[in-house]
Amino acid sequence: MRGILNTGRTIRQGSYVERKNSPAYREEAASLHMNQVDMLDLELEEGSHVRVRSDQGAVVMVARPADGLARGEVFVCLGPYANFLVNPETHGTGMPDFKTTPVTIEPTTEQVPTVREIMERYGGVGYED
Amino acid sequence: MKIEDVVCTFCGCLCDDLVVEVENNRVISVENGCTLANEKFMGDHRLKSPIRREGNGWKALSYDDAIRETAEILLDADRPLLYGWSGTHGEAQSVGVHLAELLGAVIDNTSTVCHGPSIMAIQEVGHPGCTLGQVKNRADVIVYWGANPIDAHPRHMSRYTTYADGFFVKEAFKERKVIVVDVRKTESSAVADEFVKVERGGDYAILSALRAIVRGKRDLIPKQVAGVTREQLFRVADICINAKFGAIFFGLGLTMSPGKYKNIRNAIELTEELNRHTKFTISPMRGHWNVYGSNEVFTWITGYPYAVDFARGIAFYNPGETTSVDILKRGECDACLVVASDPGAHFPRACAEHLARIPTVQIDPHVNATTHLATLQIPVAVTGIDAEGTAYRMDGVPIRTRKLFDGTYPSDFDILGKIYEQVKEVKGS
Ligand code: SF4
Repeated sequence: MRGILNTGRTIRQGSYVERKNSPAYREEAASLHMNQVDMLDLELEEGSHVRVRSDQGAVVMVARPADGLARGEVFVCLGPYANFLVNPETHGTGMPDFKTTPVTIEPTTEQVPTVREIMERYGGVGYED
Repeated sequence: MKIEDVVCTFCGCLCDDLVVEVENNRVISVENGCTLANEKFMGDHRLKSPIRREGNGWKALSYDDAIRETAEILLDADRPLLYGWSGTHGEAQSVGVHLAELLGAVIDNTSTVCHGPSIMAIQEVGHPGCTLGQVKNRADVIVYWGANPIDAHPRHMSRYTTYADGFFVKEAFKERKVIVVDVRKTESSAVADEFVKVERGGDYAILSALRAIVRGKRDLIPKQVAGVTREQLFRVADICINAKFGAIFFGLGLTMSPGKYKNIRNAIELTEELNRHTKFTISPMRGHWNVYGSNEVFTWITGYPYAVDFARGIAFYNPGETTSVDILKRGECDACLVVASDPGAHFPRACAEHLARIPTVQIDPHVNATTHLATLQIPVAVTGIDAEGTAYRMDGVPIRTRKLFDGTYPSDFDILGKIYEQVKEVKGS
């Protein structure tokens, strides 16, 4: 399915923001909120894993139904999972298009990476708390 | 020990009415704060000592060594970037700007990925703003545009708007009208009297339509504008025109959406139109507790609020060129000092990848996403808990944050001051 990725703050994201390596933060930051009909179409249940791809790459997240989203709209709170997909182009403004990333979504059985694993994919070295 | 009037150093509301109980250098209870405040004050998961990346692992090192290595990294670099600053106090931000000048570095703060576009618009057309106290005591119409305060600024509605009784607004909940404009339903839109659901990317068109209506050009408005009916637009415009005092608060739904700073410019110009009929103000919902302070401090010292480039020996500012995302995307900087923020989590992937390629030093109390990308991290005290200093609330009011106990960590100010001294020794004054 094709969709447009929107990002923003959530209270749970804010609550765990100083513990980005915790399972609670990962659960929130890797949640892909989507329209329920779109979920039915893709045969997804709450908690199903999905591979979300943009022109920047693909990352595995967890699908969750959301009331306020139209078909084709998906929402992920700001953080490393959403930003895996965001294009750095700023059109001369300094600000990337954090709220309008074209993505494709497909079911997968792959695991959701941890924040640390994402940073290791970027070339970092994981630090164990 | 119970401490009253504690300032919450989480979001731009900078609430100054918390009651915090401290025992043995730990916060054991928080009253009056929201969920975010409770997590911030009760959280106890700091990095214990400075750490350095060595091969595929990490080693602890002393503060003295960490400071010396940071100074060396910055001195070795041709184009260092000093990024972050919104999560620390003004005194530390000030040392950061002087350090940038000494190094000929670029210094940028987190507004670059939040309200930078708002600042660009304000530079073009000005800022008809006011303090939150004015809003609380006078405003009978509140507009949240592209903002979701219930999640991002949980006490904004209860301290200043929807639920806050004021001097001229005795029963706020009944007397104040709340309009929420957003592309999606949120917790905040659920409590609005009028929820205007805009098509994605349609904010600029809606703002223009409202400006036309306020100007008296109702006949120009088509049946629907960006998914919003003409009737609703008329209704919203009438609520605003008939307000005694209206206040617009806007969030990243405007600054990050297509149009960016042009959206904000249009919103400011709508506010200007409304002022031909009544009193209306507009203000950004600033996110980090001291991001406004970083703009203030940068501006006093350099003349520019963010994205300041000292490579020419003088301050130069050009968003799109000297902004962090652009510099990192181009792979331009060859060292980065990150202070009190987390670009690993909050910058696009390509930017974070560049941080992993270059020497990146992070000064931050916690292990975050950037830690894994860094070469060195220096833990510091948390301003508002075991360090103190000046912060600016989202409406530009300076508030002195407090230290609740004497901890064992040095403050950002201490660490940056030492780095500055060592750089100065090599560079001269
Ligand atoms: S609204 Fe913001 S400043 Fe106030 S208590 Fe909550 S997080 Fe702290």
